[in-house]
Amino acid sequence: MTICSTAFTTLGRAQARALGHADLPIAVVPHPFGLRSREEIRQIAEQCVDDVVGLVSKAGSK
Amino acid sequence: MSEDNTMAGRAPAAARAARFEASDDLDAINQLYRERRWSDGLPVVPPTVERVERMLRHTRRAPEEFVARVAPGFGAATVERIAINAVLAGCDPEYLPVLIAATEATADPEFNLQGIQATTNPVAVWLIVNGPLARRLNVNGTCNCLGQGAWANATIGRALRLILQNIGGALPGDMDRATHGQPGKYTFCCAENEDANPWEPLHVERGYAADRSTVTVVGAEGTMNMNSHTKNAGELVRVIAETMIHPPSNEYTHGGEPWLMLGPEHAEILRRGGLSKSELKRRLWEESRMPASRMSGKELQRVRDSRAHELGEITPDTLLPISPRPQDIMIVVAGGPGTHSVYIPCFGNSRAVTREVTGAAIPV
Repeated sequence: MTICSTAFTTLGRAQARALGHADLPIAVVPHPFGLRSREEIRQIAEQCVDDVVGLVSKAGSK
Repeated sequence: MSEDNTMAGRAPAAARAARFEASDDLDAINQLYRERRWSDGLPVVPPTVERVERMLRHTRRAPEEFVARVAPGFGAATVERIAINAVLAGCDPEYLPVLIAATEATADPEFNLQGIQATTNPVAVWLIVNGPLARRLNVNGTCNCLGQGAWANATIGRALRLILQNIGGALPGDMDRATHGQPGKYTFCCAENEDANPWEPLHVERGYAADRSTVTVVGAEGTMNMNSHTKNAGELVRVIAETMIHPPSNEYTHGGEPWLMLGPEHAEILRRGGLSKSELKRRLWEESRMPASRMSGKELQRVRDSRAHELGEITPDTLLPISPRPQDIMIVVAGGPGTHSVYIPCFGNSRAVTREVTGAAIPV
């Protein structure tokens, strides 16, 4: 699996498809990071961890 | 058609291109290319079977021969697919071998096409044609060589862009993530003005015999003109070096490969000042070192991440060289009369690649 910010999700999905992994799980985080506070980044990271666990578990159960 | 309407990632290496029926009406054909995103935004020349076959007669290589995988979609660039894009761009058939060599060059890992195609940076692929073929094909290396007006410059550069987009899948906003892009992404091709070059031409510097023809691909961020009326070589070196210095630079961040296109008049001043090409590079490298403190804090951290292995500990007092070595500064001589030269900052994480143009055939 991989993690992309919203601005790069299209690229990530197209790249995965081109490399033969069309079903690659992608956890998406909001873009950009630069103007966010540390607290906001922490919240995004915590949500992302949940998303990663969910996606990996889903992929593993297939 | 594939989901993204390009050849990216789906074309087996040896497949012949698909054919389809289309109206004879030029407007209708252009509408089709527009809808399928097979153009660069300008009208195209319809790649009919006859036109593509006429193009293919100018190479000895077979139509289905594999040339390269083109990142980021990794579509297979075959000779025929390169020819189709050359027709779309309006190329004369004689240009095809240059495009085959250029496509092969972009796939060299040193060039980092993946990064160049998918980055937010405006980087375009600049083509420099050297040797006898440049003259034979009328690739312009004199007046306005980076501007409009020369069929070879315009269409060869355009064809490579279409190859990168249609075979490589780098569609703007999709896999091409450029924040702004730049006009050079439509076309960016010239020759060197070898007759006015007081030093060895680019392809000889890069190991080819003077009578061979080559194409060099460069990941170029854009052009910055330098108008200096000085006749003093030392002053000219100084003002060029000061132009190269700019804090938000990929080159200083990563240790790059900056390019200079010297106008013939400036090149002659530097030669009369006793500078060989290698001595000029050394002087420019020394004089363009930039105090790391001029960068923003974020960029300084990025420099540390990227160049610590090269430079050791980097403090705000460190004088950052623009490239790892003086010889990484690349110099070509091109253009016509005038007191101008051009600084062409580069992508940073890329090195130019040169390939000999081979396989040209003269149709019977």
